[in-house]
Amino acid sequence: MKKFLTVIGIIAIIATLSMAFPKTALTDSQSDTTQISQSAPVAADDGIDEVEAATGGLKKFFAYTGFANVTSGHLIMLVVGLFFIFLAIRYDYEPLLLIPIGVGILIGNIPFMLDAGLKLGIYESGSVMNYLYFGVTAGIYPPLIFLGIGAMTDFSSLISNPKLMLLGAAAQLGIFATFLGALILGFHPAEAGAIGIIGGADGPTAIFLSSKLANGINILPDGTTVKNLIGPIAIAAYSYMALVPVIQPPIMRLLITKKERQIKMKSPRAVSKLEKILFPIIGLIFTAFISPSSLPLLGMLFFGNLLKESGVTKRLADTARNALIDIVTIILGLTVGASTQADIFLTSESILIFVLGAASFMVATAGGLLFAKVMNLFLSDDNKINPLIGAAGVSAVPDSARVVHVEGLKSNPNNHLLMHAMAPNVSGVIGSAVAAGILLSYLL
Amino acid sequence: MIINAITIDFSAINAFTTSVALVGYAIVFIVLLMLAFVYGLIPKVIALDTRRRMKKAGKCDDCEIADTEGDTTAAITMALYMHLNELHDEESNVITIRRVSKQYSPWSSKIYATNPYVRM
Repeated sequence: MKKFLTVIGIIAIIATLSMAFPKTALTDSQSDTTQISQSAPVAADDGIDEVEAATGGLKKFFAYTGFANVTSGHLIMLVVGLFFIFLAIRYDYEPLLLIPIGVGILIGNIPFMLDAGLKLGIYESGSVMNYLYFGVTAGIYPPLIFLGIGAMTDFSSLISNPKLMLLGAAAQLGIFATFLGALILGFHPAEAGAIGIIGGADGPTAIFLSSKLANGINILPDGTTVKNLIGPIAIAAYSYMALVPVIQPPIMRLLITKKERQIKMKSPRAVSKLEKILFPIIGLIFTAFISPSSLPLLGMLFFGNLLKESGVTKRLADTARNALIDIVTIILGLTVGASTQADIFLTSESILIFVLGAASFMVATAGGLLFAKVMNLFLSDDNKINPLIGAAGVSAVPDSARVVHVEGLKSNPNNHLLMHAMAPNVSGVIGSAVAAGILLSYLL
Repeated sequence: MIINAITIDFSAINAFTTSVALVGYAIVFIVLLMLAFVYGLIPKVIALDTRRRMKKAGKCDDCEIADTEGDTTAAITMALYMHLNELHDEESNVITIRRVSKQYSPWSSKIYATNPYVRM
């Protein structure tokens, strides 16, 4: 009641002031170039009723508020944003991503007068959000995120057991299967490629590829412009990454027998410092030569890892894995969330992208699991691998490895699979970046 | 509305798009297979070099470089750390409580902790 009276009081003061100083109100309305000001009643000089002028001012104020411009689309997206924040806080699903994205969705979907030239919307040239969004559309943020990932990731488990890299390759099945699925559903090959990368379960890679292939700028061979799918793809990729603990376990239980889930793997061997230093150097040169299009991502990933492993650039590695990646994550999450402006996001294509993304994740998980079973056919009894770790081949570092670990513990409380699962997990990052490079070179 | 928007068109799966999918997947596999091969080779090369250097230094003629498991290394490291942390300078090991000669000190006097009554 007290708050209500305060609001009414403020409105009454504004109304009284505008009546007391009609000249000022008139000057203000004349300087305004919007449509509303032109249609608003002009007071004082023409002798029009002063009360009418005051109500005109209030009407103008109301026309600018969110209440006057709200649509059902805005409300739906606001609920989605709140749901993301709820998931992050209540269930701890990737809170570092879902909180910025959720708040970004709220910011991007606060209704305002679109044609008033306020420069507020993320798609309005000159707005602050538009400047921040440039890092997404130009593909600047994903490589910086990869730099941080490289500087914080320990590749020891992968180096000690390199054959597990193949699981990271197998899980990329989701990317190419979804690519074909998107084509069948009527997407252009470039758009289909961008949608397919959701199966890589790697947010930065998905944003990078969609900013190149489905950015709303490129002209297709038939003269039409490619659709801007960055927002839906990024949201789908990050949502499914957050939902890894929900999506993967049922597929694991479906495809892997209880006996297989209990397989204990040999502890990884200790890796020398020289091997750790050689890993990023060889990886960078090798992958860049085969797939140069993946250089922005893999170049930064391996660079970050060299900063960490060289041991002589501790300060740079610390910055890359802490301050830098945190800053970029905040801006990236916020702008990706804000890019889901209702009028652009709420389309039938977005729904299809979400369906394809879910399918892509499932196929990728199944691909990794089944390939692990196939690998076991060729391995000796001592070197058998627990097929559960195949599910970690879909990047989603380190969530999918954590899910594998938890599922392994359910079958055998003494079977700790985390370190083993990290190997396909990080090779999945490399695999999805290579796949993105291949799609880019084919479809751009 | 959404169901109406879905168009299923298998003609989009042509030679080009199929080759993108198949060749793309194959390349991912080949890249990671080759990386796995190279990374598998590195420890062997390092072991070979170590053996050669040890032989040259005359330390060992037919040494076997064993792959120690991470757990074992961690256990050895922990044991060494604990051992080294327990080392001290040589001590007399004689603990005595010596009675101090001066019992009174103004620092332990209770009178200084009381507030004087001020008569107005």
